[in-house]
Amino acid sequence: MKRIACYAALTAVSLFPCLPALAQDYSGRTLVVGTWGGDIERLLREHVAGPLETKTGAKVEFLLGGSGDRMSKMVAERNNPTMDVTFQNIYEAPAALKEGLVVAPDAALVPTAANVWAGMNDGCYAMSLVGLGIAYSKALFPEAPEWADLWKAEFKGKMAYAPYPSSEGDGMLAVAARIAGVNEHDPDAAFAKLAELGAPVLSYSSLDEVFTLMDAGEIAAAPMISGYVLSNLGNYEGIGFVFPKDPGPVLVRDMVCQVANSPEPELAQMFIDLALSVETQTAYAKELNFGPTNSKVELTEEEAGRVINTPEEVASLLQLDWSYVIEQRSDWTDRWNKQILGQ
Amino acid sequence: MKQTPDIKPTATALLVAPAAILMFGVFVLPFLFLVVLSFWSQVPGSVGIVPGFTLANYARIIGDGYYLGGLWTTLWLSGLVTLLCLVLALPLARWIVLYAKRSKGLLIGLCILPLVCGALLPTLGLVNLLSPLGFINGALKSMGLIKTSLPLLGNIAGVSIGLVQAFLPLMILPLISTIERIPHDYEKAAMSLGATRLVVWRRVLLPLMLPGIVAGSLLVFCASLTAFVTPQILGQGKVVTFASLAYQQAAMVLDWPFASALGMVMLLFLALAGLLGALVSRGLGRRT
Repeated sequence: MKRIACYAALTAVSLFPCLPALAQDYSGRTLVVGTWGGDIERLLREHVAGPLETKTGAKVEFLLGGSGDRMSKMVAERNNPTMDVTFQNIYEAPAALKEGLVVAPDAALVPTAANVWAGMNDGCYAMSLVGLGIAYSKALFPEAPEWADLWKAEFKGKMAYAPYPSSEGDGMLAVAARIAGVNEHDPDAAFAKLAELGAPVLSYSSLDEVFTLMDAGEIAAAPMISGYVLSNLGNYEGIGFVFPKDPGPVLVRDMVCQVANSPEPELAQMFIDLALSVETQTAYAKELNFGPTNSKVELTEEEAGRVINTPEEVASLLQLDWSYVIEQRSDWTDRWNKQILGQ
Repeated sequence: MKQTPDIKPTATALLVAPAAILMFGVFVLPFLFLVVLSFWSQVPGSVGIVPGFTLANYARIIGDGYYLGGLWTTLWLSGLVTLLCLVLALPLARWIVLYAKRSKGLLIGLCILPLVCGALLPTLGLVNLLSPLGFINGALKSMGLIKTSLPLLGNIAGVSIGLVQAFLPLMILPLISTIERIPHDYEKAAMSLGATRLVVWRRVLLPLMLPGIVAGSLLVFCASLTAFVTPQILGQGKVVTFASLAYQQAAMVLDWPFASALGMVMLLFLALAGLLGALVSRGLGRRT
């Protein structure tokens, strides 16, 4: 009898590590995820939130908005966060980790993170790869332009930019710096060179706004991030998009972060694990033209041609010193307002 | 004569307490935090905040022509919008009071519509109307009146149109309320004594409408001073207002102390506008 009891005890102990997975029921609990609205929210609902709700019984609630709003929210709720997972831009993730707002990436907590291309989980988990290229008016550029072509006299004052601060703006400053023969560590040269393009036609608040004017030839070009642009190009015959070669397109990553001290850390890790899965990453690539970070994703030749999806392609891109760039944010915002918009 | 029933102080306190607690929690406390935060500073290159007293944020506003320029643009834009609203609302309010009759309720409802449907949708609608490829430029071009599009977005003209559309009800409503109290006989009496229509307006109607004009102007000026959505969208990043600067610093740069200082300066001008309005109203009260 003692032996049976002993075996039973041993069996129970050996099964113990499996017990949480078998017994976890998160019914009645809510995971709060901050992300962008539109197609990204739709894909996350379909491929991440839905399966997670089915698996755990928990409810996933989305907070939609810009990444700056989410960064503000994390800072404001530093001691008592209400958001569990947040999607941030490449330049915000290292800063968020440095400030202790997010949990450092760890494949022990999020197993799929081990499949992400090496070196990409910088601050948070790398969610998708996109590049800053040029959206241009085909009427004004019969051939796809290089960065340097934007500086031709006939295009002065015919650019459009995203509101600053943004990865588009920082990327364009870095390109201007390289056109001037330096890099982003020389902001005087970068701003002076970018100012040569003249004041923009507009700082756009939506892609439709800028594409309508670009399609009509009122805007010559705009530095834009590949994913959304490529998804929308079908609606505008007069607009092209190119990844320039000299310098290459600026690498931009969307990151997914686990908020530090959030109410539902386990659910947050499961959500991120699903977000990095082959299925979700493939959907991102096929539907949004966002390059997968999961090295196990396999795309057709045609699909692969529209996205950045290999370390070799990443190596060909212009990578900024984002830690330095983010430290300049306040100063550069003032300079952008005065030297670029205020011309 | 109907007498006011006696209400014990305890009962009064209990009745007022829920609203007072709510206001203290969601308005007074955050406002006090805003005041304190404006005297703190941000750690350079970080989102961290140094909770030590400094006047650096205010010195930056006063010492930087860009921010002073933004303040000046905001003030004169608000003044311009107030004037435009007044010019448009005066005849409209008077017409509604005197001639609308049965459709009066409907017209007042239509006037209020921009206030209740929020700022975003009407503003996005205006983008379609005012853009270089929009309805207005398209119509003018098709009539052969213009060859190149008129710049109606990304400038003061576009932002003013948007703000007037949004805040005209704030001028119309106080004016309707004031004009309703002016006996129509006054106008007839003045004209029977030989006054022209212009003189009637200048010497009779406008002075009697002044309380409504002051109240409406104050409301429109303050609303325009703090407007964010309309200048942000219709200004296309090229019309710098104080609210858009505060948003940029708070939500994008994450320099909350500086954004708080910008907010405090805006509040100072709101208080000054309110004070001026109160002084004018008191002056009018004494005169009557």
